[in-house]
Amino acid sequence: MNPSSKAVSYARVVSSSATDALDARPSTAPATGWFARVFDRAFVWLAVTPTALTMLLVFGLPLAFSLYLSMEGWSADETLFGGKFAGTANYEALLTDPDFIGSLTLTLGYTAVTVLSELLLGLGIALLLNLDLPFITFFRTALIVPMMMTPIVAALCWKLLLDPDHGVIDYFIGSNIIWLGRPWLALFAVGFASVWQNTPFVTILALAGLRSLPHEPMEAAAIDGANALQRFWHVTLPLMRPYLLVALLLRAIFEFRAFDNVYVMTGGGPANATLLLSVYTYQASFVQFDLSLGAAASWVMLLIALVACLGFVALIGRRTTA
Amino acid sequence: MSAMGVGRRRSKLIFAVSIYAALLALLVLFLFPLLWIVGLSLKTRMQVFASPPLFLWVPTLQNYATMLGTGAFQSAFINSLLISAEAVLLSICIGVPAAYAFARFHFRGRSPLFMSLLVMRMLPPIAVLVPMYVLFSKLGLAQTRFSVVLAYTTFSLPLVVWIMRGFFEELPRELEESAWVDGASRFAAFRLVVLPLVRPGLVAATILALLLAWNDFIFAAVLTTDATRTLPVLMASFSGDVGVDWGAMTASCVLVVLPVLLFSFAAQRHLVAGLSSGAVKG
Repeated sequence: MNPSSKAVSYARVVSSSATDALDARPSTAPATGWFARVFDRAFVWLAVTPTALTMLLVFGLPLAFSLYLSMEGWSADETLFGGKFAGTANYEALLTDPDFIGSLTLTLGYTAVTVLSELLLGLGIALLLNLDLPFITFFRTALIVPMMMTPIVAALCWKLLLDPDHGVIDYFIGSNIIWLGRPWLALFAVGFASVWQNTPFVTILALAGLRSLPHEPMEAAAIDGANALQRFWHVTLPLMRPYLLVALLLRAIFEFRAFDNVYVMTGGGPANATLLLSVYTYQASFVQFDLSLGAAASWVMLLIALVACLGFVALIGRRTTA
Repeated sequence: MSAMGVGRRRSKLIFAVSIYAALLALLVLFLFPLLWIVGLSLKTRMQVFASPPLFLWVPTLQNYATMLGTGAFQSAFINSLLISAEAVLLSICIGVPAAYAFARFHFRGRSPLFMSLLVMRMLPPIAVLVPMYVLFSKLGLAQTRFSVVLAYTTFSLPLVVWIMRGFFEELPRELEESAWVDGASRFAAFRLVVLPLVRPGLVAATILALLLAWNDFIFAAVLTTDATRTLPVLMASFSGDVGVDWGAMTASCVLVVLPVLLFSFAAQRHLVAGLSSGAVKG
């Protein structure tokens, strides 16, 4: 269970099939009866087809259809393929829409800030929870509660807490701040709610990493006279890198598509201050009911996510094989 | 010597005290919102809007009784329960054999197939929301629970395959091979030898798939109607008029969160194992 081998196996999964040959040993099950023999031979096929088919039909097909939609002038009352070909018109409309450009930069900034906060806070909490003190298991359990909450419910809770008339937070502060009514405050509140809810996820990953670190490098550094800060910076942090990178990737994926907290707390306002890309897409598709524009917006999101993921995978692959 | 010992003990004490202080501060930060909501749900309408807020009061379960007696809440609860159960069952039944095949057998297209599963998990699902809505409407599925079940299955399938593949790979191949030598068919070996050993993985995959289905909002919001809507959709409909009945609203918040919280605590160990194995080991 040492972390570097975990990291390597992660990299192996996502970047190459170099070790497939190792698994190529033929399985030699002594099949009994014709049914078992046929079943044996067909096993892989039987096992994989349902998954592949489901993903292809329910996920892949809509994805392809969405690409088609994004290049059409299509409205819901037409037949499936009844739209007029519009080429890149929808994409041009998007890229010249200041709301979309604003939403794009906002989403990138929002993702960067929330993910960074979650990583720092999550790692800090994990370091605390890694100490072996009495009652520490209680804290380990209690501090992951926000993660389990239904995002819609968590956002609703924060909306009530931040209510300017009856909210308890304004009572503690002692003034009537309209949190969700001013652009920067609303953006902060939405991001804060997300950091609050998702930091425990980073904590869990980081804690799992810390628990499985080997002791020897730590002891060696201590013998060499490194103080706690030096040990953390030069020993713990490098060993933790695979875990932190994975946390970074997963959190970035999920913050990039953030929707629930914005939808409940601000609906994208005030003055588009919290109009993240998924909210923009949702509004284009289901409020303005321009499904083609929505499809184009979602394909822009998808391409950004894809490029970011592939870049990350290449990064992690190079790091671990180097 | 002794002075140094006292000094060291004192600095150790200060260290421990500051750690606990930090932990308590975090505990307040992370738990206060939920506790306050639970508190609100146990207040009467007068007490909810009392100013300054009440910190001590005689709790009432009136809000829970009201909410549980509401038809809309009951049907949303049943819908959530059925949809989550069906989605979990479907993705486990389909995904576990596939994960086993990915872990144990070499077949043509294995790596590209597995890779594309991973990529699908990383793409923003909102990209398939619009076309799913269009296609399901045209197929006449948009009004049914099954459309949401299908959508959730595609989210949890990559997760299930990813987690279970990791657990299968950790089992030594010799286990099944010795079962085969003893005359068990491949299916019997899988069911009697392998499955019991990967139970922690199954539990973790089940919880994560359940969380996905139970907590999702956006797909349920688009793909359901009043008759088939789930709890998150119902909850979101409250957010439009926050001024109204905080007691009932917070009571339903607690009722939505409680089952998942209890379930997760019961299986916390597995959940952590699943999260970290699924995320780190691949």
